[in-house]
Formats: sequence, C-alpha cells, structure tokens
Amino acid sequence: MKKKLACLLLAACMCLSLAACGGSGSAASATPAASDAAETPAAGGEITIGTISPNTGSLAAYGSAVTTAVDLAVEEINAAGGINGSQVKIVNADDQFDPTECLNAFNSLVSQGIGLIIGSVTSGCTSAITDAANEEQVCLLTPSATADSITTVDDYVFRACYADSFQGAIAAAYAKQSGYTEVGVVYCAADTYSKGLYDSFNTACEKYGVTVKAVESTASLDVQDYTNQFASMVKAGVEFVYAPYYYDVIGPYIVTQARAAGYKGIIMGADGYDSTPDYVVDGADLSVFNDVYWTNHYDPADTSDKVQSFVKAYEAKFGATPNAISALAYDAVYMYKQAIEKAASTDATAVRDALADTSAVYTGVTGTFSLDASGTPTKGASIISFTSEGTTVTTKLVDVVKELPQA
Amino acid sequence: MSTFIQTLIVGLRLGSIYALVALGYTMVYGIIRLINFAHGDFIMVGGYTMIFTIPLALAMGLPAWTSVVFAILCCALVGMTTELVAYRPIRKKGTSMTALITAIAVSMLLENLAQAIPAIGPNPVVASQIFSTGGFSIAGVTMEWTTVSTIVISAVVMVVLYQFTQKTKLGRAMRCVSEDKEASILMGINVNRTIVLTFAIGSGLSAVAALMYMAQYPKVYTTMGMMLGLKAFVAAVLGGIGIIPGAMLGGLIIGLVESFTTSYVSSSMADTFVFLILIIVLIIKPAGILGKNVGEKV
Repeated sequence: MKKKLACLLLAACMCLSLAACGGSGSAASATPAASDAAETPAAGGEITIGTISPNTGSLAAYGSAVTTAVDLAVEEINAAGGINGSQVKIVNADDQFDPTECLNAFNSLVSQGIGLIIGSVTSGCTSAITDAANEEQVCLLTPSATADSITTVDDYVFRACYADSFQGAIAAAYAKQSGYTEVGVVYCAADTYSKGLYDSFNTACEKYGVTVKAVESTASLDVQDYTNQFASMVKAGVEFVYAPYYYDVIGPYIVTQARAAGYKGIIMGADGYDSTPDYVVDGADLSVFNDVYWTNHYDPADTSDKVQSFVKAYEAKFGATPNAISALAYDAVYMYKQAIEKAASTDATAVRDALADTSAVYTGVTGTFSLDASGTPTKGASIISFTSEGTTVTTKLVDVVKELPQA
Repeated sequence: MSTFIQTLIVGLRLGSIYALVALGYTMVYGIIRLINFAHGDFIMVGGYTMIFTIPLALAMGLPAWTSVVFAILCCALVGMTTELVAYRPIRKKGTSMTALITAIAVSMLLENLAQAIPAIGPNPVVASQIFSTGGFSIAGVTMEWTTVSTIVISAVVMVVLYQFTQKTKLGRAMRCVSEDKEASILMGINVNRTIVLTFAIGSGLSAVAALMYMAQYPKVYTTMGMMLGLKAFVAAVLGGIGIIPGAMLGGLIIGLVESFTTSYVSSSMADTFVFLILIIVLIIKPAGILGKNVGEKV
C-alpha cells in the first residue's frame, strides 16, 4: 500500500513538473517575441522572420523556390534601408513535405522567439500548424497553401495566394467555356490539396451545369500507376479530365500513362503542375504533354513592370526563371513589410491586426489585391498550357481570369 | 473487353516487378531464415546506379538498358557486403530477432546514407527513356514496348533462376543449405560461400527489378524501395516464403489484385484488398499458397 502511495505521489510530481516545463516553455517562447516587438521598432534593430518550406523530400523544388525568392526580397528590402529602419533577417526551417516535421519546424521557430512566419508551402503541411499558430499567437502567412480550410475569420493565419474554391471553379468555368459539358476527375483521396480541389471543382461544375461523369481516385500520393483510372475516363467517354496532383506525379507518371491508356482529351490541373517541365522523361515522346492545362498564380511572361523587374532580378541572381511559388513567397515578404510598417511594430498581434485590415491594398508580382475577412486575397488566376514538339516541355499563357464568370 | 485486357496488362506488369523483388526475399529467407528488409532498398541502389551509368552507356553507343550490368554488379556488391558486415556476425552471436532488427537497421542506413550523398540527395530524379517508345495495338488496347519488355524479361529471369536452382551445382547447394545446414556441411558444401552467393544473386535480381520499375515508372527517390519492398514481401509470404515458384505466383497475384481492384471495385482501395487477401490466405493456409505445412517435431 505504502509503495503504491509513493508511486502515485511520484507520478503526480512528475506530471506537475512536466506541466511546469510546458508552461515555462511556451512563456519563454512568447516573451522574446513580445519584448522584441515592444522595444525595438526603432532604427538599427533587426527584424527576424521565420520561413518554413519543404527543402528536402519529394517537393524539394518548392523549397528552393521559397528560400531563393525570400532571399531576393530580403536583400532588396535591406538594401533599401530595411523595414522602419531595421534590417530583416530570415531563419529557415525544413518541413520535408511532412506534416509532423512541419509542426516540429514551426515549434523550433517559435522557440527561437520568432513571431512572424512565412509558411508552409503545401496545404497538407500548413494545415498541421494553423491551430498551433493561433494558440501561440504567432503570425502565419503562407505563400501558397490553397486549401479553403487554412484561413478562417479572426485568426493569425493569412495567405498570399487564392483559395482552392476559386482555383477549382476557374477550371470548371474553363471547361464550360471551352464547350465540355461532361468531364471526369482523377484525384488523390488522402491529400488535403488534391481532395480540396476536387471538392471545389465538383461544386463549381454543378453551378455551371457541367456534369461530372466519372470520378476515380488514388489512396496516396505514392501510387505509380494511373493507367486504369484513365482507362475508365476513356470508357466514360469524357474528353476533359481534372487531375489535381503535384508535378512529381504529373511529369513522370500521369500524362504519359493517360495517353498510353488511350486518353486523348484535355488534362487540367492546378498550381501543383508548376515545375513539371523539369520532371519529364528525357528521350520519351513529349508530345503527350500537349493539351495539358493548369491554373497558376502568375505567368513569368507577363509584360507588366512589376512582374518583369521581379523575373529579371531573380534570373540575374539565381540563373533560372522563378515559378509561381517563388513569386508568392516574394509577395509574402512584401506583405509582411507593409503590415509591419503599418503596425509600426513587429509584435505578432499588432502585425496580425494590420494584416486583418481588409482595406489594405497590396501590389505584388502576383497582382494587386486586398485580403478578405478570412485572410485570403481576392485576385485573378492565369490559365497556362504545356506544349512540346521537341525534347523539352514549355509553358504558354492561355488566359488571365480576373474573376469567376456568372453561372 | 478492352477494359479487361488493359487491366490484365497493368496487373501483369506490376505483378512481374513484384515477383522479381519477391524472389530476392524468398531466396534469402529460404537459406538463412532471415527476412531481409533491406532488399527493397537494394532496388533504390540499383535505380541510382542506373541514373548515373545511363549517360555512360549512351556515350559508349550502347542502348540505355545496358546500364543494368553496372547496377547488377553494384547491387550484388552491396548485398554481399551487407551479409558479410552485418548479418553474418549477428547470426553467429545473436538470435533471429536481433538479425531481423539488424535487417531493418540496414534498410534505414541505406536510405539515409543515400540521402547524405550529395550527388543523390533527398530530391527525386526522373530517369531517361530506357526502352524504345511506342508500341502496338491489340483489341483497342495499346501495348507499349516498355510493358512488353517488362513482362518478357521478368518471365525469362524467373525461368532461368528456377532452372538454375534445379540443375546447377550451386543451385543444388543452395537448396541443401536451406533444407539442413549441418547436413550440408557434412556433404562438403561450403555453407558460408553459398550464403554469400545467394545474397549476390538475390541482390542482382533487385537490379533487374529496378530496371523494369524505372522503365515503367521513371521516378527514382531514396525511399522508393519501402512500399515496393513491403508489397513484394507480402507477395513472398502469400506464395509461401522460401519457395521460388511461390514468390512468382505471389507477385503476380498481388499485381493482378491491385489492378483489378482499381478497375472494377474502387480505385483508392487497391492496397486495402492486397492486404486483406494476405490476411485471408494466411488464416486458411498459414504457410502460403504453395507452402507445405511442416509439423512441429516432438
């Protein structure tokens, strides 16, 4: 009996001490951010912004897109005298395109006292840290997580891109506009991004009077064979298939297999198709990539000054054309700049209030926009197509959609 | 009808890759009763070897698939090293449980080692076209040359391997060692050498599997062997682990079940059915489809 009692006491002690640890841990992490903010808005200090991106793993192309574009933006800002006279410093953390790692990356940034974070890139990862951001009262600005559920009213989460309900609807509107009344969908049932786009595409199709005649799915993003899925599209007789996947599946697997399965119609996707031309098979018949369309946040061939000066600066520094993720990450840094200047503080809550102001207008590479009540920009999308005749796949701007057409 | 043929072809090409990988599991299990979890990662080793040697083969004016020779050598070397450095010392000292844990450790080691090599890194790469593009059409279904090559190569390899174990001296030695290690020592068989050679052949086969996998699914990444290895392991167990024809049968069944489930049941339930079938078969016949129920000696 005595032993049991001792055990219980010990256990209770341990619980208390653990709780204490947790408490002091979060307090410690919150204080530096707050004190930073309160004491150093004056010139000469340093503003630290954290970034979270998949630098390694299957979507590593997105990681380097973010880190390079953020570097470029910060370099420009610092050369022009910083924000409110303070130089900007970036601390990057890798999430490996893994929600668990993303939360670890987030916690590590917060424990360094960082209250302003840009990240993460994918909807799957970002949705793993939105609750934590609200709990810790840390400002989270994702450049490119498009899932609808990411931002809600009254929270600390914002984004620089449009949401999937818009992106999926653009694709549905495009199908209708091009005269397709019956369409098919192939999507990944286990991925936040893919499933979200399917849902919004489906809803928009109903609105526009387009019939979704065939739906096929895959259980994970690791599936390699899509032949049967596209064979059933052929069987259903559809000539427009919406396939919201990422470039590492589109390039090596889906397009080639769909054509081999006898599917000759249009394959349409979303911003996940960005970077596909770097992931195609050398020496294969690349003409299969004709008739592949996708929606994106911007087009590097856009002739506006803002886009061209960004593209030129990026190409000069990194020797490659920036993709949409880069453009969004670049815009995200400038959104923070504008919000910090407006708040005249780097305190996470003050910056949050500045971002939550729906009347603020941001002029970025990806368009001129304001945020809606949930923290999502209202802006247009570019529709882009792939074309190939020789040994490479190139992109071509098809249309720029400013707002959704009426049903 | 065309859906049926299409589904059958997809099933056969998936199945023949699984079967080749399963052969590696089965050969090693048969001879030392060890589930070599690192076997899936040997495929990754083979895949990257080919990524690096395909340009070399093309430069010498040879077709891309000839780089598989380098991959076979490299995989065999990795397989034999694993046996000599990790498994043999453990077998002498530890229990079968420690050997199993070592196998998992080797698997992790290979994956992370590959990531740490700067030329490989954690990012996926896409291979170049391996077999010629195009194909022919029967009953409204396109048969790509890649698919035809996959199925034919795998069938040939399996037949040759089976004949090898039945007819050659080394093949007989392998079967002896797997049946009774002590007795084969008495018969004058060099057990350790036989085991090392089994590892070399099993790992070499994984290079051939890597070739066919890459020709069909050209994305190569460090963890590519994980799910592939798991499915092949299931195939080996399903057919009866330790039995060579069992691995072939198991592989084909898994591939066909996967393909037919996607086509006729639900496209996102393929894996569910694969593992469900495994459970059902093991309940009815614990030793696998071709396995013999060996009674416990009292």
